Amino acid sequence: MKLIGIILFLFSSWMVASDHSHDHMDHSDMMHHSHEGHAHEELVDGEKLEVNPERFDKFVANLSNAQVAVVSVKGMVCDFCARGIEKTFEKDKNVKKIDVDLSQGKVLVAFDKGFDINFEDIKKKILANGQNATGMQVVSI
Amino acid sequence: MGMYRYILFFYIIASINIEARPISYSGGSTLMMFSDNMKDSIYYHFSPTYKYSIGIESVKDNYLNNDYSLLRATYLINRKNTQYSQRNLYINAGLSINDTSNNFYGIHGDWETRRWFVGFGFKKLNNKIIDYDQKHLQLGVAPYLGEYGDLHTWLMIKTKKNSLNDDWYTYPVLKFFKGNVLVEFGYNDETEWDAHFMYRF
Repeated sequence: MKLIGIILFLFSSWMVASDHSHDHMDHSDMMHHSHEGHAHEELVDGEKLEVNPERFDKFVANLSNAQVAVVSVKGMVCDFCARGIEKTFEKDKNVKKIDVDLSQGKVLVAFDKGFDINFEDIKKKILANGQNATGMQVVSI
Repeated sequence: MGMYRYILFFYIIASINIEARPISYSGGSTLMMFSDNMKDSIYYHFSPTYKYSIGIESVKDNYLNNDYSLLRATYLINRKNTQYSQRNLYINAGLSINDTSNNFYGIHGDWETRRWFVGFGFKKLNNKIIDYDQKHLQLGVAPYLGEYGDLHTWLMIKTKKNSLNDDWYTYPVLKFFKGNVLVEFGYNDETEWDAHFMYRF
């Protein structure tokens, strides 16, 4: 029994370390791109975009010719619970990239510039994870 | 207290943590492993929708030297999402594949923000030896608010009581999760260490 406990602990540690290593790779990629001046505070129509600026800049660092849907989500209070959102959107071949901003309750979804973003479809995908999408703003990159 | 009651009592104490995260996202599945001085358990469930999950749990009882499997189901009967919180209420049930007199049903719920967690549960268990029920309360606080992808930590305290013994047993629980992995460790003077591992596919 103790052996199984130790194995579980070591396996968990390894999984955490793997994820951490992956994060560092993402961070390195971001270092090669400067994205000052991105519209993460105010949109063209004057509406305020409530996202974490650093997280938004990191998200769009490698994107070009794209549009980002910033989706407001209710009930997204836990990283582990939000994993399903990422997994659901990743199955959509039109999605280039996805991220979750827990502090602001936002999901960032990047599509090709010409793609027609459908909020109803996004709402369904969010609901498939048990949360509610309440609004969406789209930013061109 | 007879030997069977003694064993069942500690079995109950050790078996509650596996109720956490009972349903995945639509089309998702989850693997859970639980280990302590009384049993080793592996539980796999699949969620056709975010409303319910079905799964199978394989249990190795180290003290009774007994292996058995349970078919399990969990249904989300109520959820309230707000900007900063989520509240859930679930019902669940399980039935032994080999012996239908070995079964359980229960209800549990939780409310959580990014900082606070409150959970409760009630479960009625039936088998050929003795029928009993159990209840628990759990409180938790996140010492820091991690962002998506960070290592998240919860400091929790859990208290339990069952119909075989009128005492409440309270002990600390540490929970960590990052990415698709969640681990939880608890310690009680009577049951010593237990470990709970979860991976969401």
